[in-house]
Amino acid sequence: MASVASRRTLIGGMTVIGLVVLWFGLTTFTGLVTGARFPSPAEFWLSLKQINGRGYAGSTLASHAFHSLKLVLMGFTVAVLTGVPLGLWMGWNRRVEAFINPVFLIIRPIPPLAWIPLAILWLGLGDAAKILVIWFSAFVPSVINAFTGVRNIDKPILEAARMLGTPRLRMVREVILPASLPMIFTGLRLSLQASWTTLVAAELVGALVGVGFVLNMAQQDIYPGMILVGMVTVGILGWVTTLLLARVERRALAWNVAARD
Amino acid sequence: MTSPPLGFRETVLLGLAGLVSFIGLWSFLSVSGIVPAQFLPGPLDVASRFVHLLTAPFAGATLPAHLASSFQRYAYGVLLAAAIGVPLGLLMGFFRLLDDIVTPIFDGLRFIAPIAWVPFAALWFGTGVGGPIMIIFAGAFPPCLINAYRGARFVEPRLIEAARMLGTPSSRMILEVLLPAAVPSIIAGLRVSAGLGWQSLVGAELIVAAAGVGFMMVQAQGSVQTPTVMAGMIAIGLVGMLIDVLLRQGEGWLRRRRGLDS
Amino acid sequence: MGSISFRNVDKVFGHGTGGVKALDDINLDIADKEFVAIVGPSGCGKTTCLRMVAGFEAASAGSVLVNGRPVTAPGPDRAVVFQQFALFPWKTVRENIELGLRNKNLPVGERNDLVASALKLMNLETHVDAFPHQLSGGMQQRVAIARAYVLDPEVLLMDEPFGALDAQTRVVMQEELVRLARHNPRTVLFITHAVEEAVYLADRVAIMTRRPGRIKEVLDIKAVRERENWDSHARIEDVMDLESFVHLRTHIWKSLREEKGFKDV
Ligand SMILES: Nc1ncnc2c1ncn2[C@@H]1O[C@H](COP(=O)(O)OP(=O)(O)O)[C@@H](O)[C@H]1O
Ligand SMILES: [Mg+2]
Repeated sequence: MASVASRRTLIGGMTVIGLVVLWFGLTTFTGLVTGARFPSPAEFWLSLKQINGRGYAGSTLASHAFHSLKLVLMGFTVAVLTGVPLGLWMGWNRRVEAFINPVFLIIRPIPPLAWIPLAILWLGLGDAAKILVIWFSAFVPSVINAFTGVRNIDKPILEAARMLGTPRLRMVREVILPASLPMIFTGLRLSLQASWTTLVAAELVGALVGVGFVLNMAQQDIYPGMILVGMVTVGILGWVTTLLLARVERRALAWNVAARD
Repeated sequence: MTSPPLGFRETVLLGLAGLVSFIGLWSFLSVSGIVPAQFLPGPLDVASRFVHLLTAPFAGATLPAHLASSFQRYAYGVLLAAAIGVPLGLLMGFFRLLDDIVTPIFDGLRFIAPIAWVPFAALWFGTGVGGPIMIIFAGAFPPCLINAYRGARFVEPRLIEAARMLGTPSSRMILEVLLPAAVPSIIAGLRVSAGLGWQSLVGAELIVAAAGVGFMMVQAQGSVQTPTVMAGMIAIGLVGMLIDVLLRQGEGWLRRRRGLDS
Repeated sequence: MGSISFRNVDKVFGHGTGGVKALDDINLDIADKEFVAIVGPSGCGKTTCLRMVAGFEAASAGSVLVNGRPVTAPGPDRAVVFQQFALFPWKTVRENIELGLRNKNLPVGERNDLVASALKLMNLETHVDAFPHQLSGGMQQRVAIARAYVLDPEVLLMDEPFGALDAQTRVVMQEELVRLARHNPRTVLFITHAVEEAVYLADRVAIMTRRPGRIKEVLDIKAVRERENWDSHARIEDVMDLESFVHLRTHIWKSLREEKGFKDV
């Protein structure tokens, strides 16, 4: 008897094989789907070879990917370093919350992607505009979740810390921050996702390098093989960064039961 | 200890102070010329442009007309996502085999930002109505599927056992047991979908479209008409907020009707 | 020194017409190193009394004094053991116990000695580096008690500390607390709604009325305990079988029964 997990793996593996066969079948063998709509495996492979060798849209895949990754990490980091402290502060101090909340409520409904034209007007097509937009989009989940994290701290935990005579700075570092950490990480996951969406959109709107730019050029050249290469790259980058974040989270939350399963 | 809740008066006063500071800073930056007014028009300029755009066409249509064409695509995209995602999720929650087949595909696609579908969407469905709808669909689909799936998958097992014992056939099981039990989860998913769909719509219109608010904003950006860009942002924010409020109301109404909260 | 006094204490939650009077004219004096238990129907204001001594709540009228001085804020001189333990989940057993000592800026050597003796006292030596979620409920409560005891507080405040434990663990903890209290006496204010626990542990038991809580009666247990030599019995069940114990317990029971709405013992 196969266990549930291995059954899943088996069927999952068969699904993947089935998809590949279907891909070959529809494109290469029967030609039901023409290369103008979706690339055949051979076309995909050629596109991949081209961008890795001669390059496409100005450089190789690795340097496009690296550039995008760099921007996402920079925007994400700036957003987290500003958003989490603001969220913690708003959670801790009701005056700060009351002061900032209305402004936040006004700005929040504007989807991050809607900032792209303004960012381009202000900063052009270069890196700065992209970092700015990523910052806007990743900022909100960081703030909200850090705020919620503080507000949901068990009251007795805070009282215990006060009873033990914990001074202010230590209170923040050893009680409030760790207590909100599970929620903060929830926010970081959302922030990271938002960062990628925003970056790809911003690069599609206008850029000189990056995976979104590859997609943009491939779209203009009507080059399905390269479009697929770009999409796969976006997926892999998103997957790898998410895995990295999950690793950091597991380390940071080793004490947390909920995070373990 | 977090400080005790503030009184009503203090909350309102501090909130007003926050708003005044925000608008004050914005006006100051623009009026003082620290940021050229061309790039950062003051709040009044933006407001008057907003009003102006209500009747005067820009990039081929007035703001309400742009909004209408945006909203039409949006509605199609979200409805399509719900029409496919919810039934598929329910079926996956019931038929293990379907779950095992779809889940790896879904997991593989999950990390591709919806907006990355733009080139294929344009290639397959054009840049008019079809392409943007597909992108909205890509954004709105995952929460529909996931929530319907979770709702059906984590139905109280005793309910299913009871229904089995009564000899309920699969089709009736899905329609009369899983679906009603999953409704709260599905509704929550639809709300998330609606938000993500709106976000994707904006992205789609910025990149491919020949009408709609996003298109208007890109055109305005091209001719450095910052007030129009910002008026577009406000319009998008307002409509997004309206959608969210309406769905929240609907969700609340539904939950009350089913006695889920008082 | 660690005396506690409630002087004509009222407590009202909320304002105006929406206000709820939780405590009404509480008067109680607890001497230094005395162990006083408060019993009463749930919602009668026991926790509120304790929280006022801890400095988490202020009295609406009257005053709460510790060593003759009004309480203004929480502090390590009045250690609290919470019903739900309130351990820091991200700190190990050692770190939980150590925090209060670090806050007192004790030198490392002295700190380590104190932590070591607290660990030994509560039989926690084998779990020093465990996180709270890895411990059973009884173990977690040991950590909470060690965390309070290590501060060497003048006053120990315990709010239904064994309420969340299963029956067997509860008995073990009660015996340990008696051992601790006799060996290393402290002023203790102990809240419970378990009558037997109160009689077994306390020097005096204060019985409260239902809301708004008033002190209805204070019983001197210590006199009986010493007269009947309870402490010569090592096991709690032997003490609970004694006629003098049963008599006191029944008396409190009857007194509580008279309070309408008393249902959860
Ligand atoms: N923070 C609070 N706000 C409003 N009412 C409270 C608060 N704390 C306690 N009360 C009310 O005061 C009464 C006494 O509560 P408590 O001291 O917790 O009772 P006990 O510990 O005896 O069960 C209860 O009716 C409770 O509802
Ligand atoms: Mg209580």
